[in-house]
Amino acid sequence: MAQYVARRLLALIPIILGVTFITFMAAHLAPGDPVEIILGQRHDPAEHIRLVHVLGLDQPWWRQYLTFLWNALHLDFGHSYVLRDESVTSILFRGLPASVTLGVLSISLTVLLGTPLGIFMARRQGSWLDSGTALAMMTLYAIPTFVMIPVLRILDIKLYERGLPFLPVAGWDGPRSAVFPILIYTAGLLGFYSRITRSCVLEALRQDYVRTARAKGVRGSLIVYKHVLRNALLPIVTVLGPLIAFLVTGSFVIEVLFNIPGVAFITVQSIFQKDFPVVQATTVLLAVVVTLVNLLTDLLYSAIDPRVRQG
Amino acid sequence: MQSEEVAAVGVDLPFAPENLGQYADLGAPRRPSAWRRLLRKRLAMISLTLILLLVMAALFAGYLAPHDPFAIDYDRIDGSPDAAHHYFFGNDSTGRDVLARILYGLRVSLIVALVVEGLNVLLGSCLGIISGYFGGAVDSVISRVADIFFAFPGILLAVLVNALFGDAFNTPPAPLDRLLPAGSGRLALIAASIALVSWPYMARFVRSQVLSLREREFIDSARAVGAGHLAIIWRHVLPNVANLILVWITLDIASVVIYEATLSLLGLGIQPPNPSIGAMINDASAQGVIQTNPFEVLWPSVILGVLVLSFTFLGEGLRDVLDPRSRNV
Repeated sequence: MAQYVARRLLALIPIILGVTFITFMAAHLAPGDPVEIILGQRHDPAEHIRLVHVLGLDQPWWRQYLTFLWNALHLDFGHSYVLRDESVTSILFRGLPASVTLGVLSISLTVLLGTPLGIFMARRQGSWLDSGTALAMMTLYAIPTFVMIPVLRILDIKLYERGLPFLPVAGWDGPRSAVFPILIYTAGLLGFYSRITRSCVLEALRQDYVRTARAKGVRGSLIVYKHVLRNALLPIVTVLGPLIAFLVTGSFVIEVLFNIPGVAFITVQSIFQKDFPVVQATTVLLAVVVTLVNLLTDLLYSAIDPRVRQG
Repeated sequence: MQSEEVAAVGVDLPFAPENLGQYADLGAPRRPSAWRRLLRKRLAMISLTLILLLVMAALFAGYLAPHDPFAIDYDRIDGSPDAAHHYFFGNDSTGRDVLARILYGLRVSLIVALVVEGLNVLLGSCLGIISGYFGGAVDSVISRVADIFFAFPGILLAVLVNALFGDAFNTPPAPLDRLLPAGSGRLALIAASIALVSWPYMARFVRSQVLSLREREFIDSARAVGAGHLAIIWRHVLPNVANLILVWITLDIASVVIYEATLSLLGLGIQPPNPSIGAMINDASAQGVIQTNPFEVLWPSVILGVLVLSFTFLGEGLRDVLDPRSRNV
């Protein structure tokens, strides 16, 4: 196991090098002079030359990349072009609580709702209940978040006119404002997760030990919770990675449309302010997080199912 | 009996001539063609009809749109639908016709989807075939590069590319700007950046298919009679993965349409005043507008939702029909 973990960790190095290299080169090749962005209106040739030197822009590109890499290793992504006093790292940390809260709550809700839903569908395989639920889940999965948001908002207004309490549709203060974003995150994730659960449970239901248990006269629900679920949970673990990746993409739309000050919101804001160190840092940060989560799910999977390690 | 065995081994493709021959020789009842089986899928056929309607609407936007998509009517800012003046879907926040802008926005969505899938087939499936067929060092280089691209979640890389290079593509270089329509530079960048994030998925998918195909007997026999690599790929590998690539593309178009709309919604895609459905949804999502004229956000959302769902359901239907592994589940 230790050898397997070591091998997987080593494989991570070229990926992270590649990710940082692509991000660095994209910013390096992009048109536009960062010093002009910093200086803005007040153009001063002497200050210009000084800043070029301070930022290391007079160095060859490979040396700039190595410096970038070395600093990134220490979680130092330099200073924001716009907020000169604040480091990029502290800006990102400002956005983390909102993003992580939303992500963790939505994934928990998805697992809590999606597991029973998947089992429900699998146990009624072929019936109209199964196909109806599967169709609804596929619709939830396929429909874009930014289509769901306006529809929910219109519903919210209509319900408020009927006398129901009004839920805030923007901003980030208090649990009431989190209801809609979490609902929308969960809807998309649920459509994906419940269908995976369904097929995993179906696969497990087909095994011989289920037939044996049935032949012995064990009750259907007992079979599902004692034998099937345990074995079906194995493959479900592996979708954790895609779930997180899905969350990252979804967060761009959700945080922007709901005005939630998370990491994605900060990224989009920085894009408009041409604050590239922040954009660069978020890209690297999110890519590394997703890679680590993928590695973690693989390790988890191989810890549960030793057959994977041989592959 | 025999035909079931063939199906159980794995790739059994209705269009592949050698398979049809097998069925005829064995006297097994011939399975209806894939197209016939697709015709029986109600949901897939409804989706196909809707897609065709939307494609026609986008193609003939110039004839169908009752107004110019750029014409501003200051008296109708955020106006509700008004059939008497041919503003069937209402007006947007600058008084432009929502229907006309949706029709031209559909064009953008479909053109981007077309270009991205073209690039995916050229880049993704070619690399996937090379990687799966030849294996070895070529395979590991392609796979490692794909791994790096996999590390960028979702459209993050496309967001980065459009953020950094977007402004440079607003106006095409000197000789081209008179030939190309306005905004085509940006359109090309959007398509290229989305292709950049989606080719690794295509490559990985095709590679896994080719890997299992490579071990089949008919490839061995082709090699035994002295066929070259190119001939084997062209005559034996490609026909056997073509159907699966078609399924994959249909499903992927749904996400490409979402990606384009997302980029435009973030302000990184099609630039105003050019119409894009994603940007329309963003503009009309403001709190005040939703209260006064909900149709302004509802119509583009519904049309985009229908487009995405149709491609998803058609893709799922095609998968049931063309992908042998999904048939028995």
